[in-house]
Amino acid sequence: MPLRFFAHFILISAGILAGALQAQENQSGSGNPFAQAKFVPDISLILDGSFNWRDLDDESCESLFLPGFSDAEGDHSAHSHEGMNGRRGFNMNYGELVISSIVDPFFDLFVVCHLAEEAFEIEEAYFTTRRMPWGMQLKGGKFLSHFGRLNSQHTHQWDFFDAPLIYTALFGESLLNEKGLRITWVAPLDTYLMLGGEISQGQNPASFGNEGFSAFDGQIEIKGSDGPNLAVAYAKSSLDIGNLTMLGGLSCALGKSRLNQGIDEGEPLTRARYGATTIAAADVTLKYLFDSIRYIALQAEYLHRKSEGDGYFIEPLSARLFLAAPYRQRQGGFYAQMVGSLNKRIRIGGRYDRIAQNEVTLPGVTTQVPGHLNRYTAMAEYNPTEFSRLRLQYAHDRSRYENGLTGYLPKPVNEIILQINLAIGAHGAHAY
Amino acid sequence: MKKIILAAFLLTALPALAERLQIVTTYPYIASITEQIGQERVRVHALAGGQWDPHTILPKPSFIAKLRRADLLIINGAQLEIGWLPPLMNQANNPRIAVGSKALLDLSRFVQLMDVPTSVSRAHGDIHPDGNPHYYLDPVNIPLLAKAIMDKLIELDATGAGYYRKNHAAFIQAWNEQLTVWDKKMAKLKGITVIEYHKNLDYFLARYEIKLMDTVEMLPGIPPTSKHIAALEEKIAGCKVCYILQDIYNPDEASRHLATKFNIPMVKMPHDVGSVPGAEGIFALFEEIIRRITHD
Repeated sequence: MPLRFFAHFILISAGILAGALQAQENQSGSGNPFAQAKFVPDISLILDGSFNWRDLDDESCESLFLPGFSDAEGDHSAHSHEGMNGRRGFNMNYGELVISSIVDPFFDLFVVCHLAEEAFEIEEAYFTTRRMPWGMQLKGGKFLSHFGRLNSQHTHQWDFFDAPLIYTALFGESLLNEKGLRITWVAPLDTYLMLGGEISQGQNPASFGNEGFSAFDGQIEIKGSDGPNLAVAYAKSSLDIGNLTMLGGLSCALGKSRLNQGIDEGEPLTRARYGATTIAAADVTLKYLFDSIRYIALQAEYLHRKSEGDGYFIEPLSARLFLAAPYRQRQGGFYAQMVGSLNKRIRIGGRYDRIAQNEVTLPGVTTQVPGHLNRYTAMAEYNPTEFSRLRLQYAHDRSRYENGLTGYLPKPVNEIILQINLAIGAHGAHAY
Repeated sequence: MKKIILAAFLLTALPALAERLQIVTTYPYIASITEQIGQERVRVHALAGGQWDPHTILPKPSFIAKLRRADLLIINGAQLEIGWLPPLMNQANNPRIAVGSKALLDLSRFVQLMDVPTSVSRAHGDIHPDGNPHYYLDPVNIPLLAKAIMDKLIELDATGAGYYRKNHAAFIQAWNEQLTVWDKKMAKLKGITVIEYHKNLDYFLARYEIKLMDTVEMLPGIPPTSKHIAALEEKIAGCKVCYILQDIYNPDEASRHLATKFNIPMVKMPHDVGSVPGAEGIFALFEEIIRRITHD
């Protein structure tokens, strides 16, 4: 990541902004006939920090893994948001810079930059159309897929500090975030019904991947995909019964998996594979409003991954020869959460995460992966205003394992996080 | 499945065939005025319920379905909808009512807004940079809104021009008759001092020359602290406060406490059509507000 470039970019942007604001002030005074201050887009900045307690030191914690998903020690390939795993003590988790505006009568533009202490990422940068007929809308660029209920939401919108286990297991910490095109259609009915589809590059490092790889002097040669590698489709609907709002959705993602981690390191290539992957999801949300302020919301999602193809590994006796053999993954899990708003300032919630199915057959791997993985989370929030939030979260995580002599050993982790989240700038209203 | 899609596409064409103009309003009071003028030529649907806090309407997907089919969207404006409407409009993606389209009517543009802040900072709470958005609780402003709605209906549905003008004239006449009755009832409250929870009724109070001493909430949108209540108590002790006006959606413990301590009546004031039983239309809303504050 060319950090210096981005640092300059920020400084220049800030300079332009300062200039624009100066221009706005001048406008009323001496009157700059070329002032463009009124065209400044909506800008907001969200900052998130935390203090973490954990009953395990940072180094040991980092070596833990989710068996069947990130199989090998220290495999953090899926964790692209630096610092989000949280070290013990004080953490600067992330900043989120959102810039958006109407482009012209035909397009809206949204850019969401994810800022870490030493990284600047374009998390999302997309347009949406304003004038498509028949209730259709196009969205194009880099964006969080609308797969499932939670995937398209930003970190600060989540009801808990972290994403559900099944999401990070299947998509990694950044969830399903791809470059592509989305089309949606809202049915012209009194009842909400939305159908949508996406095609994208499919670069997700945990489940898909569009880059080819080769190893062993061309003995393994997997061609990359020149073009889109992933298709996503979903249907979402909602029904109101009095003060109860029900929302449900079905989603499906189809793509090719090209996973080549560890291929150059000469270790047993248990993670290198090429195959076809289908991920399906069903979600349901029930929200009951007692009045303007108090509500209770139940939200649950089930995700399932089916992946089949060729896995590669070194034949143990000759050490040079590789074998390609079929691999097979059938993995599924859910989370169910309940969040209640007690008054304007206080919200409490609990969540249960469970990987309920974990069948992994990889060539050359004999270690049994555990069939069930669980995590329990509880949180309490204090929101002084809608622009500031303090959250205390406790998690008892039974999903993490370490390598033992005879196989994988469970390593339960207890964690308490005190989080602060602050938002300045434009008023960011959230979707339901 | 194909049949369903085909049926759905056919339904897309229906709003064009339907005789009535499909109108969506953000709040029920707008729907009530619009119904008076549009009557048989329109179908009006209000998104927010009258019993809800107008600042923080919890958005529902069904709102998107309503916005998707609207021929006209009428909003309160002055940023009262800023916390909930924009993402719904984006998702509904209805070009007829998009920002900048002629079928998006912002009523706040037709009235003079009070309390436009000279400096905007969230240190002052959840303030509205365009001014106090509760302008519709001044009964004198209602005819201005009715006129704006009539003009818009005529612009979008010229064949109904005569019908809308006739309904509008009847509405204005009835309104003005009521207004003289209300003015007479309110005359006896001229010059009294009140406290309100949130700056909901400022336009109403200003119209009838009622003095507002302070608000129970510390800053707009921010519940009172004990320190703020202590300061309020000091102020109340030194002056004659006739009423504590409490809205129906915010917690009323603090107002109740002050009312008991100083023996001042706390009056629950409706803020929109449908907020309390008896406030079923725009006439009934003002009827009810005045009945409650004058004890008739």
